[in-house]
Amino acid sequence: MSQTGPFIRVTTVSAPLKGSFPLDHEGTCKLEMLNYMVCLHEKKQQNSECRDVAKDYFECRMNHGLMDKDEWQKLGYGDTK
Amino acid sequence: MSLSRLWNTARPFCSVITWTTKSPLSTLAVLQRKTSAVNVLSIRQFNKKPSRSDKSADQKNYTYYVMSLVIVAIGCTFAAIPAYRIFCEQTSFGGLTQVAKDFDKIANMKKCEDRLIRVQFNSDVPSSMRWEFKPQQHEIFVHPGETALAFYTARNPTDKPIIGISSYNLTPFQAAYYFNKIQCFCFEEQILNPGEQVDLPVFFYIDPDYVNDPALEYLDSILLSYTFFEAKSGLKLPDPFDPKNRPSIAPSPDKVPEKSN
Repeated sequence: MSQTGPFIRVTTVSAPLKGSFPLDHEGTCKLEMLNYMVCLHEKKQQNSECRDVAKDYFECRMNHGLMDKDEWQKLGYGDTK
Repeated sequence: MSLSRLWNTARPFCSVITWTTKSPLSTLAVLQRKTSAVNVLSIRQFNKKPSRSDKSADQKNYTYYVMSLVIVAIGCTFAAIPAYRIFCEQTSFGGLTQVAKDFDKIANMKKCEDRLIRVQFNSDVPSSMRWEFKPQQHEIFVHPGETALAFYTARNPTDKPIIGISSYNLTPFQAAYYFNKIQCFCFEEQILNPGEQVDLPVFFYIDPDYVNDPALEYLDSILLSYTFFEAKSGLKLPDPFDPKNRPSIAPSPDKVPEKSN
């Protein structure tokens, strides 16, 4: 499965940019997560339609200290709102 | 059979052939004339003094050759810069594996409307891991240059807290080069208390350069697969530098099963 050779792009598994999400043990943002899932289901799994709901989820996470606060621009949500 | 012997055996046959075609006298004359002509030419070549016009023509040719070599060399130095860049990108030489990932790039990237990539999700656990781990959605349709969110769910049905650590994998490899994760739940130990269920989000984006890759023109489907392994924390492995931890023939006291009351 792992190919090697002179002209093959080496795909290394890399760490995520912002690190790891702290686990939401209490389920504080579960409602936002369910809203997002419902939106995805309604819009036939199109990510573009449900970006606002995803933004709500991130806001919930940030407010409850489950995610580092960052500007929306840096998370790719500069165009919404 | 050596070559000379071969020639000696073939010679009478050759002469036979010439006899059948021409008269021996004429063939002999032709042969004589040819050899003499060859000799004369060779002598002439060696004795020939290069005249003035020939010399300047030769010099001109030499200068042209050298100049063309110099021009080609200069052209190569100019072409080497983009060629090296392409080579590095293609072969990921020297660790330049992926396009630069940073927040400025995310902030400035533009969504590519014309390509819609289907990202499918898969989850795996080894059989010894007793978590229930599955994705909340089978697939999601994403435009390159757009950040996306996806969820997995993990549940611990046992009565003991289990620590898991996950790793991911992406196929096909050409497309995986453009898949960047902003935040996820991999490579860090996550503990789940007994009976707990938790949502694990994955926040990612596909690089807008995806549309510029000719190898990915007809590739619109990526599979993201996560595997959760059990991490046994608190497991103390024997220290190899411990002087007491040395292999010995005599049975050590803790290996002998103790009969305790």
